[in-house]
Amino acid sequence: MNRSPSSSYQQWLASASACILFGNPNNKRTAGWQQARAHHHLSSALVVPYIRILHTIRVGESLDDLLQAVFQRQSHQSHPIEVASSISHQVPLLLRLDAPGDHFAVERELIALGASDAEGDIDDRLVPLDAYTVGHLISATEARRLQPQHGRIWYPAQWFRGYCRLLSWLQREVSILLPQAQWMNDPADIAVMFDKRRCHQWLHAAGVAVPPLVPDLLGQQSNYEQLRLSMEQHRIYRVFIKLFCGSAASGVIAYQYNPRTGAEIATTTIGIDHSGHEPFYYNSGRLRRYTDSATIVQIIDWLGREGMHVERWISKDSWQNKAYDIRQLVCRYESGHAVMRLSHTPITNLHLRNERLLVDQSHLSAEQVLQIQHIASAGLHCFPNSFCAGIDVLVPSSGGHPYIIDMNPFGDLLYYVEHQGLGTYAWELQQWLEHECI
Amino acid sequence: MEVKFSVDYDQNEKGVRLKDLITGLVSDPEPCRGITSLIIGDWGAAYEDTMDDAIPALIEASPLLPNLKSLYIGDMSSEECEVSWINQTNLGPLLAAYPQIESFTIQGSTGLSLEPLHHDKLHTLTIICGGLPKSVLNEIYNAHLPELTTLTLYLGVEDYGFDGSIEDILPFLNQNPFPKLKYLGLTDSEIQDEIAIAAANAPVLEQLDTLDLSNGTLSDKGAEALINSDAVKKLKHLNLNYHYMSDTMIKRWKDTGLSVDTGDQQEVDEDGEYEWRYPALTE
Repeated sequence: MNRSPSSSYQQWLASASACILFGNPNNKRTAGWQQARAHHHLSSALVVPYIRILHTIRVGESLDDLLQAVFQRQSHQSHPIEVASSISHQVPLLLRLDAPGDHFAVERELIALGASDAEGDIDDRLVPLDAYTVGHLISATEARRLQPQHGRIWYPAQWFRGYCRLLSWLQREVSILLPQAQWMNDPADIAVMFDKRRCHQWLHAAGVAVPPLVPDLLGQQSNYEQLRLSMEQHRIYRVFIKLFCGSAASGVIAYQYNPRTGAEIATTTIGIDHSGHEPFYYNSGRLRRYTDSATIVQIIDWLGREGMHVERWISKDSWQNKAYDIRQLVCRYESGHAVMRLSHTPITNLHLRNERLLVDQSHLSAEQVLQIQHIASAGLHCFPNSFCAGIDVLVPSSGGHPYIIDMNPFGDLLYYVEHQGLGTYAWELQQWLEHECI
Repeated sequence: MEVKFSVDYDQNEKGVRLKDLITGLVSDPEPCRGITSLIIGDWGAAYEDTMDDAIPALIEASPLLPNLKSLYIGDMSSEECEVSWINQTNLGPLLAAYPQIESFTIQGSTGLSLEPLHHDKLHTLTIICGGLPKSVLNEIYNAHLPELTTLTLYLGVEDYGFDGSIEDILPFLNQNPFPKLKYLGLTDSEIQDEIAIAAANAPVLEQLDTLDLSNGTLSDKGAEALINSDAVKKLKHLNLNYHYMSDTMIKRWKDTGLSVDTGDQQEVDEDGEYEWRYPALTE
């Protein structure tokens, strides 16, 4: 009765089974992780909302202040944080970062944190390609005035800078306050995986197969004209253009032009809204196919200004007349859930109402499945401080070796798929308990 | 045995050529006797080049493929080349050099012609494309194909090469030139309703087992004509897969008890005051 909240907080921190989840509360990811904890008879994670982290940075408080406040709040609410008494494993304090997305207030604050006049303790050391992370810029005040607009892609380069600043802050605060804790995925790795340009370099340097780049395009200055010039010079007529920090199908264009006729096609979810005084770009729920050059130039120039990553479009293998890629979940020691994503279009991501199939129901041979698992694991091993990632693997139509086309530090939100009888989160946690705990 | 040749981007850049692959295949005649199906995929940058330089090699290979029954030219996915960008050529001489085959499939219609189109054994002809030019429709209509039982044409859209109208399709329905035809596919069309209305009571239905109007923009308008037709009721099967018919119309088809494929219902794309319907192969 007389126990002060602060002493119970200290007790909790020192307890054998504690876990802190940095994420957005009340979403499927957070709920999924808490269910996984319950499945393994572990106490609930302390959920530290992104919005609180952002506030803490802004006002110059410490992680300790933040954790105490969150701990007290959650202790008094519907999800009491228990201090578990009987745990068979010796589990170090586990820190898990989850996706910041799908939360407008968080998005707005991240853009504000990425502003040149951002308040608080600003640290750019985790921005992977600092000089090339400069898009359209707005002030922190302007950022906080933004109003939600469905699907709009807001200042992605500035958003990403803000997110990297948040990651730097967290990493540093943790190293001071909780030196014994273990990150599931290290914030520095998350920053690199998120920047497709840097991630591609990183994997390529380690000898992991990634689609070849269209040369000479790294940099914020690249635009449609330079892209076309480089494509022509290198006789590459089909490319994937990706917003450097997009997730899922956001900001992706499958672009091709016909060297014989000059016709061009850009297949993308990006739409342009002309209703206001200046056009803005948004992710539309359906795929668009642009063939008029003016629109294509406009979209690619915008992507180039924010920062784009351009790879050769390797023809994907098809199954039942649909092209596919594989989302392969891997943990450090083992491959987990795998989902085949099939589409009549070049863009296979699940959001776009494409089909999906479990890999063991597909036509893939055991050898191909092994090759996919192998390259996904090789990709994760390029990040020795990360435990788990969802990796998108392309199987080429030529029948050659597979390629990694994307690494997703938060790529574990997969529905209706089990591996060893477990959902993704429960399986990850099991892997962690088996391998990382004494 | 089925054999497929295809030259992908990297192979093409490295100088791999389809004609060499064909010559390599027939250099050992014995295994060639077992080949019943030959598929030519991407011949290397099909968006840029035709397969003209491989046609002589293919023609020369014919006597060494005595048991070939099926030939497919241009089997490539949109991952390899957009169907409307495939550069075809006159495939008439190639077909003439293969009197032994029974099934001929072509994908892509840009630059396509079929001159001459005389073949005594062919029973299946299929053309898959984004838009079939009326010149090709005329060549097929005037062909000499006495054994043809199955004809499937993707008619497509104007943007991708369909420069005809219902007038170019009517002859196939009203004065069909193929005495043994049992399966007629007039598919993937942006004027699928017009075709359905014209087909509903066309003379050709008397000889057909199957009418295939799939993959196009068929709506209740065209379906209404079909469902009211006595000739349609006598068909063994009606393929309307991929369509824009309403739930009510689908239910009405079910109630007829006829063998009708009404799968893959599409949603009309509403853009302001306009409603867009797309055939399957042009999205």
